[in-house]
Amino acid sequence: MATLKPILLVEDNPKDLELTLEAFAEAQLANDIVVARDGAEALSYLFHEDGQAVSKPTDPKYPAVIILDIKLPKVDGIEVLQRIKANESTRAIPVVMLTSSKEEQDLVRSYRLGVNAFVVKPVGFKEFFDAIRDIGSFWAILNEPPPGCHPRRPRGA
Amino acid sequence: MAGTLDLDACAREPIHIPGSIQPHGHLLAVEADSLRLVCASAEAGAVLNRPPAEAIGLPVDRLIDCASTASLVRGLRNAPTEPVQLEILSLRSGADYQAIAHRTGALVILELEELPATGAGTLEALYPQMREGIRRMQAAQDFDALLASTAEEVRALTGFDRVLVYRFDEQWNGTVIAENGNDRLPSYRGLRFPASDIPQQARRLYALNRLRLIADARYQPVPILSATRDAKPLDLSFSVLRSVSPVHLEYMRNMGTPASMSISVMDGDRLWGLISCHHAEPRQVSFAVRTACDLLGQVLSSQMIALERALDADHRIRSKSTQARLLAHMAAAESFIDGLSDDREDLLGLVNADGAAILFDGDCRLIGRTPPQEVVEAIAAELAGQGIKDLFVSHQLPAEMPVAAGMERTSSGLLAISISQLHPSYLLWFRPEIVQSIDWAGDPKKPLDASGGLSPRSSFEAWKETVRGQSLPWRHGEIEAAGDFRNAIVSIVLRKAEEMAALNEELRRSNGELAAFSYSVSHDLRAPFRHVTSYAELLRSRAGDKLNERERHYLDSIIEAASSAGRLVDGLLHFSQLGRATLARVEVDVGQLVDEVRHLLEPDLQGRNLRWTVHPLPGVTGDPTMLRLVVQNLLSNAIKYTRDRTDPEIEVGCRSNADAHEFFVRDNGRGFDMAYAGKLFGVFQRLHREEEFEGIGIGLANVRRIVERHGGRVWAEGRLDHGATFHFSLPRSVAAESR
Repeated sequence: MATLKPILLVEDNPKDLELTLEAFAEAQLANDIVVARDGAEALSYLFHEDGQAVSKPTDPKYPAVIILDIKLPKVDGIEVLQRIKANESTRAIPVVMLTSSKEEQDLVRSYRLGVNAFVVKPVGFKEFFDAIRDIGSFWAILNEPPPGCHPRRPRGA
Repeated sequence: MAGTLDLDACAREPIHIPGSIQPHGHLLAVEADSLRLVCASAEAGAVLNRPPAEAIGLPVDRLIDCASTASLVRGLRNAPTEPVQLEILSLRSGADYQAIAHRTGALVILELEELPATGAGTLEALYPQMREGIRRMQAAQDFDALLASTAEEVRALTGFDRVLVYRFDEQWNGTVIAENGNDRLPSYRGLRFPASDIPQQARRLYALNRLRLIADARYQPVPILSATRDAKPLDLSFSVLRSVSPVHLEYMRNMGTPASMSISVMDGDRLWGLISCHHAEPRQVSFAVRTACDLLGQVLSSQMIALERALDADHRIRSKSTQARLLAHMAAAESFIDGLSDDREDLLGLVNADGAAILFDGDCRLIGRTPPQEVVEAIAAELAGQGIKDLFVSHQLPAEMPVAAGMERTSSGLLAISISQLHPSYLLWFRPEIVQSIDWAGDPKKPLDASGGLSPRSSFEAWKETVRGQSLPWRHGEIEAAGDFRNAIVSIVLRKAEEMAALNEELRRSNGELAAFSYSVSHDLRAPFRHVTSYAELLRSRAGDKLNERERHYLDSIIEAASSAGRLVDGLLHFSQLGRATLARVEVDVGQLVDEVRHLLEPDLQGRNLRWTVHPLPGVTGDPTMLRLVVQNLLSNAIKYTRDRTDPEIEVGCRSNADAHEFFVRDNGRGFDMAYAGKLFGVFQRLHREEEFEGIGIGLANVRRIVERHGGRVWAEGRLDHGATFHFSLPRSVAAESR
């Protein structure tokens, strides 16, 4: 449906990308998955070159949730997070850090910048798939979006 | 002081203008230009051929009736300010005199001394003997030999019964440091005299006029008469017949030495000491002999200065090599304090101290003869309080520092150096009271002289009073050596501090590297393991039904192995994080923590009949999350290793002492062999096979890291199949964090 907002997945590792997409498929999420392979790509999806946000809550490109790796080429995840949370238009987009490492510093910095969730990719496959499914269903379906967004399709429909 | 004479009055006595002379000659003072008589001694009528009162105002050459008037007049007109001998004056009446003249202001003083029994003699006649004497003095290799030969030569020249060499210290107390005698008079070697024995104005006079003779201490002084009653008193500073203080005469009589002579020994402008001659009977010595003795005194001065310089140089060299040995010791030792205190002989020898103390970084070491530690610490605190940042010197500490009162026996003298710019750290050297360290040939317990008056005995007693609570003063060279040594230590301390700083920097750098390493391990190593398990899982779920049982087992093994490797990486990361994470310090109720963890572990018990004994536990200060991990590890281990027991028991308790709480977790489970106790707390160390007891072997390593970071320690006892007890202690006061 047109009202269903996409999930922006920022992931550089092709295997992680493949596995994450598999997990989303398994979870049968209906949202579009927009993939960015580095921080710069993610930013150019969200912002014009002049720094103005592309996406408004009413825009169909406006993501339901951004799933962001920390270690990324070009612009790292922390910086992407900072740009998102520093901009009035994008601040309300939920951002979930999905990362390989649980560095205390990353955790602290992410929360300081206003991350909405911080998830360490579990080593076990089942745990990993469960995590991806939970993230997708929580942030893209269960969570109420900020005011001004198009209404979500009715539950169970 | 015993006796009826007032020594203070003695110090004020104007001894250079006594107004009288000794009776073994006559004194005439004449105007330098007209040679008219101004004053004359009361008995001078014998040479003036009329009562002195009638002679005053007349030219002296018309008064004295002798054959050689012309040469007398020439001598008087040319008289220098220091006495010189003129020709022997032979009166027509038959009496012979040594004529000695010197000029003082507008007057010339002519002294006519009776000739000694041995005759007047001449310097020329004495010269061969003097030359030999001087040669022996110059041959002396050391101080004692020089002084001994000086005393011997002076006695040989003068024939006195006893010759002493007497040296002044910085406070003008005197010590007899050499002696030569014929045993007719007692030995005074080592005897000390208080400064008051030779008052300041006498020392000034001795420095001016280097030679004095008292031919007979029992003499009656002869007054000097002048034309008017209120005439300015005659300055007798350079007079050879000058009458001495009655105090001095009493002293001489009490010593049993009616005749005495003393020669000043100078060190530059300073009166270094005296060559003091005594005789058991009255004795007159010719002017020529006295002049020869004065020459010997001057030879002694110059020899002494040369020797002192050589000794000084020698002392410096020895002090430098002592210092070098000490520094080498210090540099070689683990802690420089050990190096310093091990080399006891050099440490004390450096400044000739009897005791030393090193106070550094809260440590206090005592070496040799020192006050008790608490006094030493109080002295150091006092130095710190006074802001002493370099050097402190005292040879009368008990009087200067109240905390050292009563410590005369050990610490009358203190030489202290500050050895750290940052902490109040000191190196202290101590010297005992001087009275404890002197050596006197006489018997100090002999009662005072029967007369009870002025005597060397009472001088010695007086000297002991003046130096009570004093040590031998610290010599210039010793203070200098201490100062040099201080600079060396401070630079060692500084260098050590710099090494520490460099090590810290290195540690910080390698910690940083380690953090970066674990970050990349966490990110880069975890991902492949995760990928292996994930793809294998995907394969199993998509194609599992196409595989036979054996093939599925291979796939399961791949998944299990990769998962287990991932858990190892996670465990290692967690361990490294425990080492780096900041410690929160709050009050933690350990009893409550144990209850919560027990509740948490309830599912693991699976209905087992486990008997818990939890004793009351104290609260501690620490990081609650980390301490929870400690409790959780120890309890889950206890649960794990008791699971094959039929009556499993776990006991948790604590023993507290003044410094720490010592917690323990005891179980009656599988236990361990004490031979492997050292491995228990290591990373990835296991004492059981993995099939027996699961786990990656990092739990106890985490326990140790957490406890050590809290300033505590861990240990364990056990016996295979007889249970184990794990202990951890936590300090009661919040200690500095250690890693």
